[in-house]
Amino acid sequence: MNQGMSRRGFLHMVGAVGGTTAIYQAALGMGLLPAVTHAARPDIAPLTGKRRKKIAILGAGIAGLTAAYELRQKGYDVQIIEASHRAGGRNLTLRGGDLIDECGYPQTCGFDRDPDLYFNAGPARIPGHHSALLGYCKELGVSLAPFINDNRSALVQDDAMFNGRPIRNREYITDTRGFIAELLAKSLKPEQLSAPFTGADYSHLLEYVRQFGELDGRFTYAGSPRAGFARHDYTGPEALKQPLPIAELMRSRFMYVMSFGELDDQSAMMMEPVGGMDRIVAGFMAKVGDCVRLHSQVESVRSTDTGVDVVYRHKGQRTLLQADYCLNSIPMPLLAGIDHNFPPEYADGFTAVQRGKLFKIGLQMKERFWEREGIYGGISWTMQDIVQLWYPAHGIHRQKGVMLGAYTFDDQTGEKFARLTPAQRIELAIQQGEKLHPGYGGYVESAVSIPWHRMNHMLGCSTRWDDSVRTQWFKRLQAPLGSHYLIGDQLSYHSGWQEGAIHSAFHAIADIDRRVREQATQVVAA
Amino acid sequence: MKAWLPLIATTVLSTTAIAADNSDLSYCTVCHGAHGNGNPAIRAPKISAMEPWYIRRQLEAFRDGVRGTHPDDAAGHEMQPVGVRLRDGAAMDAAIEYVSTFKPKAPPITVTGDAARGRELYVTCASCHGSNGEGNQTVGAPALADRTDWYLVTQLRNYKAGLRGSDQRDTNGAQMRALAQTLPDTQAIDDVVTYINTLRARR
Ligand SMILES: Cc1cc2nc3c(=O)[nH]c(=O)nc-3n(C[C@H](O)[C@H](O)[C@H](O)COP(=O)(O)OP(=O)(O)OC[C@H]3O[C@@H](n4cnc5c(N)ncnc54)[C@H](O)[C@@H]3O)c2cc1C
Repeated sequence: MNQGMSRRGFLHMVGAVGGTTAIYQAALGMGLLPAVTHAARPDIAPLTGKRRKKIAILGAGIAGLTAAYELRQKGYDVQIIEASHRAGGRNLTLRGGDLIDECGYPQTCGFDRDPDLYFNAGPARIPGHHSALLGYCKELGVSLAPFINDNRSALVQDDAMFNGRPIRNREYITDTRGFIAELLAKSLKPEQLSAPFTGADYSHLLEYVRQFGELDGRFTYAGSPRAGFARHDYTGPEALKQPLPIAELMRSRFMYVMSFGELDDQSAMMMEPVGGMDRIVAGFMAKVGDCVRLHSQVESVRSTDTGVDVVYRHKGQRTLLQADYCLNSIPMPLLAGIDHNFPPEYADGFTAVQRGKLFKIGLQMKERFWEREGIYGGISWTMQDIVQLWYPAHGIHRQKGVMLGAYTFDDQTGEKFARLTPAQRIELAIQQGEKLHPGYGGYVESAVSIPWHRMNHMLGCSTRWDDSVRTQWFKRLQAPLGSHYLIGDQLSYHSGWQEGAIHSAFHAIADIDRRVREQATQVVAA
Repeated sequence: MKAWLPLIATTVLSTTAIAADNSDLSYCTVCHGAHGNGNPAIRAPKISAMEPWYIRRQLEAFRDGVRGTHPDDAAGHEMQPVGVRLRDGAAMDAAIEYVSTFKPKAPPITVTGDAARGRELYVTCASCHGSNGEGNQTVGAPALADRTDWYLVTQLRNYKAGLRGSDQRDTNGAQMRALAQTLPDTQAIDDVVTYINTLRARR
């Protein structure tokens, strides 16, 4: 973020997490609710006895686990092949003792062992409309708690304003709105309004502007309780904060991210599983764990006349799996390097997409100093490389907490951090964090860094489908090749969200169900 | 109904390979593809059928920061810490041994230049790499035929631009760097690699 963030840069950044829908919505600056339709969980016909079908699922991420869970319940014979030492894929929660499997820099998480001291290195939040995922949370007994994105008491820091001195988020938002409202109120004349406005509407409009900016009776902005008070000592009179110089505020690139917490996927109320995002994985594993084979890297996927042949390597030994259907969530750029017999009009698509290079740092702090500053949960923004600081909303008032010390979205910054050694990354993050919280480094007890494009078996995050690639490839890759189905958030319109991964699994298993039902009717007819 | 079958004995690796198969070695094929046959989607070259002595020299170069430390060499930077991970001699031996178990596949031809012009340019290369691109260990030159062609292009460009071969300790690299300068432009690089592709048939 430090090379100047353009409006496009911001949209791209949002898109890296939220997919193109997020870009579209952000571009419209919208808060409109679309007519809501949800992908429904398919109603799979149960199989019995001889009609049982073998399903090979490649990858035990959220997509693979969803498919296994659904098909298993309906009598399918399911096996999941997972290359990593753990299930969950990008759904990764780190606790003391966990391996961070980065190519070249494997690290062990050094956090204290404590139920509140964990770090969601991948997904961390769920909005209320991700109904498929929330449905599984309910069904699998995963407790949820509120997650805070938007905290008006958190900080905004930019070297371009106030010599880098941080201000409270509420000051930025309120003072800039107040200024814009005053400007508008003073320049708006009734004669400028044409149909559909009438004379009476002019006063409505003016009143809206006053409410928007909290202007006084003379349409002047002179500070507002929304911007906060200079003191919170209620034995004496209240004193509003003085509005900050508008020219300074306008210099900040924070304007590109100030509406982040209003996005469809990011606005209140957001949720997180109690105890870490991987409670969802644990919930699925309790149901299907016995059919998951870990440490098993798929080497070959071949479509045959009767199904799909998969070869995987486990402890140096190769095993051939012959399945009636294969659901494959291996990231497409990695799949491109695996032996297969797919035609170019299918396989060339694997190399057409790009993957995001998101990067996170987690810091175990020996003291929850932010709570002393009146910050409980939420995000502080800085225009430095680290972009964000997050304060945990769980474990409030306990001694220690795990903060997020960096969350970067653009490729350049992700690469910059990935090139450093883990120790250097933390050093840089602390140095930048000091600008928000002086003395910050002194609280750090233990740190982890996760460059997603360097994580073993992942090498990236969300799939980036630019419009032309989407037009050319998406439909073809979403459709099966014989009995081989690509799944994962990569094959959804909501890459970068677990909900997208689940929908892709629904799409594929619904199609398998349709084929299996058709075969059954043919058998009956014969 | 289908069964889960273990593969027939010939394709099962020996027990020594099993012992060496710690998770580190899965890194090799995550990037370089199944059997190390390369993955252009993530810019990882074919490493199967590479001479063990040459693999060792490159792993050591990465390990020691002789290679993969130039600020503009993004792909090299990714490999460099992996080399550092193999600083223990036994780990490096195991990696080289593992690569030798790969079943090599001929990589697709992706570079299309002027083979006739490339043939003239290749005369310089032939003195070390052999007239059939077979390589020559005595002079430290690896085989060139049957490698991923786009990767040869990348490396010739890297040598020419000093992304590779600039480290003082890299004597072989320095030689290559000097010779890469004799290729006047990117077209010449494509041409010579196009010619190298024609050598596959002769091996
Ligand atoms: C930093 C970050 C933040 C995110 N934030 C959120 C969020 O707040 N909310 C949200 O809902 N989502 C979020 N997401 C997205 C979410 O993590 C993904 O959408 C989801 O986890 C993808 O699941 P998947 O099953 O499609 O793929 P993956 O989880 O990537 O699963 C693919 C699996 O394939 C395995 N595999 C790879 N190669 C092989 C092989 N050769 N053989 C066998 N197995 C192999 C991998 O090990 C992996 O387990 C975030 C992601 C990241 C990285």
